[in-house]
Amino acid sequence: MDMRAFLKVEKMSVGYGTTTVLDKLDLGIEKGEFVALLGSSGCGKTTLLRTIAGFAKPFAGSIQVADRDVTQMPPDKRGMALVFQSYALWPHMTVAQNIGYGLKLQKHSRGDIDARVSEMQNLLGLSGLGNRKPGQLSGGQRQRVALGRALAVDPEILLLDEPLSNLDARIRLTVRHEIRSLQKRLGITAIHVTHDREEAMVMADRIVIMNAGRIEQQGSPEEVYNKPATPFVAAFMGAENVLSMQVSVKGEQIELQEGAFNAATVTARAGRRLATGPVELRFRAEAASLTGNGDGAALEPGALELRGQVASVSYPGGHWRHAVRLGKDEILVDADTPFDQGATVKVRIPAQSLFIFNTPEGPAGPHTF
Amino acid sequence: MPKRLLALLLVLPALVMIVLFFIVPLFASIVGAFEVGETFGLGNFSKSFELYSSDMIFTVVIVAVSTLLIGFFSIAIGGYLTLGENPRAVALLRWLYRWPMFIPFIVVGQVLRTFLAKNGLMNNVLVSLGILTPLQTVGFLDWRGIVIAFVWKQTPFVTLLLAGAMASLDRSTIEAARNLGASRLRILIEIVLPQVAPTLLVGLILSFVTMMSVLSVPLMINAQSPTMLTADIAFRINAHGDYGVANALGLISLLLTAGVALIYLRQSMKERA
Repeated sequence: MDMRAFLKVEKMSVGYGTTTVLDKLDLGIEKGEFVALLGSSGCGKTTLLRTIAGFAKPFAGSIQVADRDVTQMPPDKRGMALVFQSYALWPHMTVAQNIGYGLKLQKHSRGDIDARVSEMQNLLGLSGLGNRKPGQLSGGQRQRVALGRALAVDPEILLLDEPLSNLDARIRLTVRHEIRSLQKRLGITAIHVTHDREEAMVMADRIVIMNAGRIEQQGSPEEVYNKPATPFVAAFMGAENVLSMQVSVKGEQIELQEGAFNAATVTARAGRRLATGPVELRFRAEAASLTGNGDGAALEPGALELRGQVASVSYPGGHWRHAVRLGKDEILVDADTPFDQGATVKVRIPAQSLFIFNTPEGPAGPHTF
Repeated sequence: MPKRLLALLLVLPALVMIVLFFIVPLFASIVGAFEVGETFGLGNFSKSFELYSSDMIFTVVIVAVSTLLIGFFSIAIGGYLTLGENPRAVALLRWLYRWPMFIPFIVVGQVLRTFLAKNGLMNNVLVSLGILTPLQTVGFLDWRGIVIAFVWKQTPFVTLLLAGAMASLDRSTIEAARNLGASRLRILIEIVLPQVAPTLLVGLILSFVTMMSVLSVPLMINAQSPTMLTADIAFRINAHGDYGVANALGLISLLLTAGVALIYLRQSMKERA
């Protein structure tokens, strides 16, 4: 982590009552960066955001903004504005009053407030709606009012707590891009909490994946997608197919030992930190390819080949999804053309799409969400 | 047809109860207000205004002042319960504030009578602490005593409704205001109160109507003139057997409370529109 980060969370522990949610967590965020905190519910991502915002007090550790310790400061003195999941618009105030309230609290003149409010309304495409109450707006418009209210006070850091989860699926896709381009245009630092992988991938410069109060991995969207550091990250990033195997590591080569459904395969270690012993092997449905049993095409080097029976076929759109049975296990594999149910098939997974992790003790079951 | 008949049969017991025990007595009382001897007229009303017009004003002023004070205190208590940052103080207040609700009006009157009298407990304590001399003591057993009794008894009820409404607000609307730097007082007045105003209004109107009908408190605390209409109604019946004027006074109280109910109806119509 860069020690000169703009927002710096150091060894922070937070909890409610006697339960600790986050334990000695470190996080650094650069100025102008868009960071997504990604994780399933209960992983502590919202607690982290609320603690940064000043709504929860840490037991220990510190939060600094531009080398200024804000750990004990009230929420409004931190130069941050939070956009709430429920939008938290004040139903008795008009759109203009909602957006202008922060400026009113800062004792700006009436004229200044009006000018800033109409600037915000123009920026967010809310022109002409200034006199409406939140109850008269669509979900997308409410979301933009909440954004306008947060941006009106010109915060250094914008905090977004699952701001898209209450929107229709279709609107959500466009709002993602709107928020992202707005953030780029304003050059504002943003932290975005979400449980939606795709949303994090599309919006963020950097993704911080959290699990059980810890940061599992952080990196650019490509990094966390293609080089998951832990089985949890691999599973969260869509590598839901899981198989148990044995490997032996020989220098820069790893050998996946022969199993009931595969021949022994040697593949490059490619920077993986592995030790000889039982492993959990993960891959995405779309990363694998299916061929008929009789297909004799040569296997590319390092790829894993599995042999199984098609248990069922479905069409989720774009490609056919096959459930392939390997003894007791079942894996999902996509293919451009459907294979018959019951057909014996070969599943090929290229080397770079295999995520292999040592299992700490005993065979690990698939992670459930 | 038999289905409709069955439906009618099902509501009939309730309907009979309402007609028999509510509409008939009310109607009889209204008719009774206009009965002067064997004929009908406004005699009871002219007598009511002649004898009790100052009591009418006294009643309206006392109940109105009490309502305002109840509103003020319930906002303060409810606000602290919602926005207070000391969990222990909040828990203590939450435990304490409801007690007066479970004490009957007559007991409230009696308790406050012994407490507020010129040589009552309050003045005795003040004298023994050297804050007042015995000559400086003042009894509160007049309109002030009634107001204190009403506020003491009714504030918990309105607070209960109000604190419930405040607790069910979307907490993040409060946090959003804090995030922008609003003080707790501003949050209470500008964010919380406007959202719970309808509940406050209902609580205050119910309190107003309750206080209009309390007999024991004015009898216990203020057995002098001017007094409240309830005491006058009891006096007309018990001392004079004068049901005519009693009914007229009852109708006048009914009209006063109806005025308040009208405000409420108008407000709720406006909100629905």
